[in-house]
Amino acid sequence: MSTNKHSSYREEAQKGIDSARLQSNLSNLQNRFGKGVMRYWEEMEDKGMRSRVKNARMRTFEHLDTILTELAKNVRARGGQVYFAETAQDAIDYTLSVARKQKVTKVVKGKSMTSMELDIDPALEKEGIEVVETDLGEYIVQLAGSTPSHIIAPCIHMDRKQIGELFADKLDIDYTDDPPTLTLAARKALREKLLSADMGITGCNLACAETGHVSLVSNEGNIRMATTMPKVHVALMGLERVVATLDEHREALQLLTRAAAMQKLSTYVSFSGGPSKKDDPDGPEEFHLVIIDNGRSKILADPEFREVLACIRCGACLNICPVYGKIGGHAYNYPYCGPIGAVLTPLLDGVNKHADLCKGETLCGACKDICPVNNDLPRMLSGLRQKLAYGSDRWNVKQHNLTEGYIYRLWRTITSNSFLYRTGVRLGRLIQRPFIGNNKLIEKMPSIGGAWTKDRDLPPIAPKTFAEIWRKKQRLKPTPAAPASREEK
Amino acid sequence: MMPNQNKFIENIRTALGKGSTPAFSDLYGGHRAKDAVQALRKKTTENQIQLVETFQQNAKELNLHTHVVASLSGAEKVIVEIIRSKTPEFSHQKHVVCHDHPDIAGLELWKRFNRESVTVHTTFHPDSQAREKTLASFVGITAADFGIAESATIVQLTRQGRPRSTSLVPSIHIAILRRENLVANLNEAYALLQESKNLDSFVFISGPSKTADIEAHLVHGAHGPYEMHVILISEPFLFPVDEEIQEANSKTSEGIEQE
Repeated sequence: MSTNKHSSYREEAQKGIDSARLQSNLSNLQNRFGKGVMRYWEEMEDKGMRSRVKNARMRTFEHLDTILTELAKNVRARGGQVYFAETAQDAIDYTLSVARKQKVTKVVKGKSMTSMELDIDPALEKEGIEVVETDLGEYIVQLAGSTPSHIIAPCIHMDRKQIGELFADKLDIDYTDDPPTLTLAARKALREKLLSADMGITGCNLACAETGHVSLVSNEGNIRMATTMPKVHVALMGLERVVATLDEHREALQLLTRAAAMQKLSTYVSFSGGPSKKDDPDGPEEFHLVIIDNGRSKILADPEFREVLACIRCGACLNICPVYGKIGGHAYNYPYCGPIGAVLTPLLDGVNKHADLCKGETLCGACKDICPVNNDLPRMLSGLRQKLAYGSDRWNVKQHNLTEGYIYRLWRTITSNSFLYRTGVRLGRLIQRPFIGNNKLIEKMPSIGGAWTKDRDLPPIAPKTFAEIWRKKQRLKPTPAAPASREEK
Repeated sequence: MMPNQNKFIENIRTALGKGSTPAFSDLYGGHRAKDAVQALRKKTTENQIQLVETFQQNAKELNLHTHVVASLSGAEKVIVEIIRSKTPEFSHQKHVVCHDHPDIAGLELWKRFNRESVTVHTTFHPDSQAREKTLASFVGITAADFGIAESATIVQLTRQGRPRSTSLVPSIHIAILRRENLVANLNEAYALLQESKNLDSFVFISGPSKTADIEAHLVHGAHGPYEMHVILISEPFLFPVDEEIQEANSKTSEGIEQE
């Protein structure tokens, strides 16, 4: 399994790097949003807001038992149904049981990362239910049989020509690469789906415990459609997507829309938390809130990683990460990509299974700087590397690369013994000779070293060590002048 | 409490290393924004005029059209002009759907169109055909509960006679907003929300529906309305007018029966 994933990260990353389209789209995105959000943080008046929200998030976790109980109580008071799902399968089973009871034949989805984490679509389709993504980007990706490659710009890896061809093929329209015309075609096709579906499945950006609401942001209006027109609304939320009070909601919401797309507010922020009341003119007949653990309580229990749950899924770290900016989202091989994915995915889905992710990041710290809630992702990436190097019972991690372990142990022995070290260096100088290329760098190493030199050249061991050069200089310079007297001249 | 909830919450308690669960009200009780609400009720006319300007400025970058009018008759002119000049997107007939709200009833729209083929619906409660009427309409007219100047946002609380779909399904959304219901920023808006009892569903709307999913190219009208207008009315809502509007209301329903 681990070798499969290993090659998949490499291959997908290589594909991303080779795609001129992806490179230009990502570079535009990062130039606009990454830089824009950083500028906003520098200029914002209320600089304390980010740490206030972070503190509130962390305090919420300390009392998460109380807060989720309160949320459930308030949703139920409004006639909504709340289900607590320990695993992905529990959440899928519950949603299916609701769908069966309501004889659902068509589901419209409003951008929900959690639903992708659960992988609920195949289960619904197996029941003969048609599942349609309604966010334009996700709809395009679904038509193409692909997966999203960015948290808020799902089809960033595609260009207008591809989308034009896709629509000509699947929506039976004349080929065009004009974005407004393409959007209009999707609007028509999706409107029909949105108005005829009998179940809407959404995620939850932020639930508010105090009022018993689920709040969802969107610019397109698809989420409002999916939560208003079908007779059943199922909201899937990770157990951490909750704030205690409306006050806390206000600040978290502002950071979310700013960091995600530099907006004061997104076009629509909708709050719902129950079926439509007797005298309500529209809205769903049934409202179900599914609160999902699926590995999150384990993260909650570990002080080293609890912080990652404070993430508000704005996607800002993707817009600044130099690694994501080159390899794109598909290499991460899971719904959560970029720096946040590199921390969250291993914790949710297996550290060994996703070993490449934390090793692929550079620890440059840009993700920490841009994170609206100051999440220290580099610290957690290092933490994951540490687990891989030494193993961890808590996270069920096997030492990832035993050979690497042996090499480092050998290296330690050599470097702590001056005779061995010097001999090794001399030997190295001899051995490296045939591998030095025209550019005076080692272009190709044999056996396991080959992976290292596949994408980069290695500077050879210098003919003389620094100590040797220094000693020689000292010998040639019999009377070193005092620096002070020199300066006076 | 369902058994799975107990187990789930117990898992969290274990993860947190906690023995007991304190009450929510002990942790987050007390703090309320009453002062803020009182302060924002005391806005002077000058404050209000300033807020209207701020709203308009912020609306521009959202491609949200604003119209400042003195009274309902000014609003009526704007609306009639929009309905006359625009073409329906999904059908050949001009249907308009309105919230059941005194300010919209006061426009007496059905009178303006009695010689044209424009059908004006109102979402009275109860109406089993409200959905069909909304789907048929190319313009939806709503009255906002309040507006936020800082972000050019209108806030709508779902109530009897005021469906969510009116501002969502028709191609053009026109919202009427009394200047007196304009607040400065999100803080004030949340203070008002905290004050309202039994909050049902509600929505913040800042401009027409949009997407930039295809090569970051901004397009309006992804799923919701492709065009949005906010009509800001300077005149405050006066109670004496209420009775006339009650009358107008009953006339509106007659108007619809005739269609």
